[in-house]
Amino acid sequence: MAGLFTADIENRGLVLDPRTKLFIMITLVVFALGGAGSDTAAVRWGTVAVSALPIVLLLTARSYKTAAVSGCLYALVKAAELCLVPHMTGAALSVCGMCCMIVIRLMPGLLMGTYMLSTTTVSEFIAAMHRMHVPQQITIPLSVMFRFFPTVLEGFASINTAMRMRDIRLGGKHAGKLIEYRLVPLMVCSVNIGSELSAAALTRGLGTGVRRTNICRIGLHWQDLSALALPVGLYGAWILGMIGVIG
Amino acid sequence: MKGKDLINIGIFSAIYFVIVFIVAMLGFIPIFLPLLCVLVPILGGIPFMLFLTRVKKFGMIWIMSVIMGLLMLLTGMSWPPLAVSVVSGLLAELVYRSGNYQSAAKAVLTNGVFSLWVAANYLPLFFAAERYWSTRQSFGQDYIDTVTKLMPTWMCPVMFLAAFVCGILGGLLGRRLMKKHFEKAGIA
Repeated sequence: MAGLFTADIENRGLVLDPRTKLFIMITLVVFALGGAGSDTAAVRWGTVAVSALPIVLLLTARSYKTAAVSGCLYALVKAAELCLVPHMTGAALSVCGMCCMIVIRLMPGLLMGTYMLSTTTVSEFIAAMHRMHVPQQITIPLSVMFRFFPTVLEGFASINTAMRMRDIRLGGKHAGKLIEYRLVPLMVCSVNIGSELSAAALTRGLGTGVRRTNICRIGLHWQDLSALALPVGLYGAWILGMIGVIG
Repeated sequence: MKGKDLINIGIFSAIYFVIVFIVAMLGFIPIFLPLLCVLVPILGGIPFMLFLTRVKKFGMIWIMSVIMGLLMLLTGMSWPPLAVSVVSGLLAELVYRSGNYQSAAKAVLTNGVFSLWVAANYLPLFFAAERYWSTRQSFGQDYIDTVTKLMPTWMCPVMFLAAFVCGILGGLLGRRLMKKHFEKAGIA
């Protein structure tokens, strides 16, 4: 799978509009993670269907392995939650409940996030945000941030290794320096990368005050409409459940 | 505000959010849930104080605060953090502006005010406890009981106070580290 925001444009399968991806993401947060409308049976089953959507999308993006592994995992744990968990008590319930929570509630959102970030280029993201009239003051920090996460994590992992070698770790000889000796190098290196990024952005005309153009063709096509049908239906079921039309 | 300022906001938001994320993972252990309010402002104070040395124009702190709220919305903490972060971010901005964007004491206070959004993550726990837990039944009754015992309603203002005080502590810690490391390296 490609890294975050570094989509392989030549070979990424079906292309969805960034706004479609964002809408599915928000739907997942509201229903799978937030558990909205979970007292209506139709919404409960709809949530399962929408949770499976990122797995289908990963298939269209040709990351077959991730899709297969997470699909099996989700199906197994959901089955376990429905059949086994009601009969458990005590410590077993706590442990299994935690696993169910992670796989059933968090995983769909995480998969969608991975899909969203690995199939969207920065240009497309900015174009979509521009169409939604989100001001530049929000879109530029957001796109820098998402692009920057992997860099921070990679740097953090390397610093962590180096510090463990010097015995600066939990339970090590210098545990007191644990945080200082990790955060300070991380920040110094991030600041340096930041000034390089600013120089690069300047050459692309960021901050000149003129209207920037964008060659990305984004828009709603048949694939977006078919991907949107399920989430929209779920919101519909939720509203019908709230006003009491379906039980 | 120029492109460079916006890029700086992005970079420091990324560092800050990585810290929030690592600390939030600890929240799966019941005793650590109220401690998020202590750990995030203190640890986040270190990058935030360095960020403040780069803030020279109105709006930078506010934007970072709004971004934190948006990220909380996207990671499933619902809307109260966003509502609070929009207000507390503006307040923090005004506090730092009153010191002409260079007062060290005001910077420490700014971190205290900025950190208030962390406490807003708990609001649903106090004011919509039944709804909050009805969507989290799978945590197990033991977890629910422990957290309910740890978090009676009067804890709500205490949480905000704790976030503020720890934000000031984090600001002081950040200042100390800046003097020790960053000024020497010429990046503060």
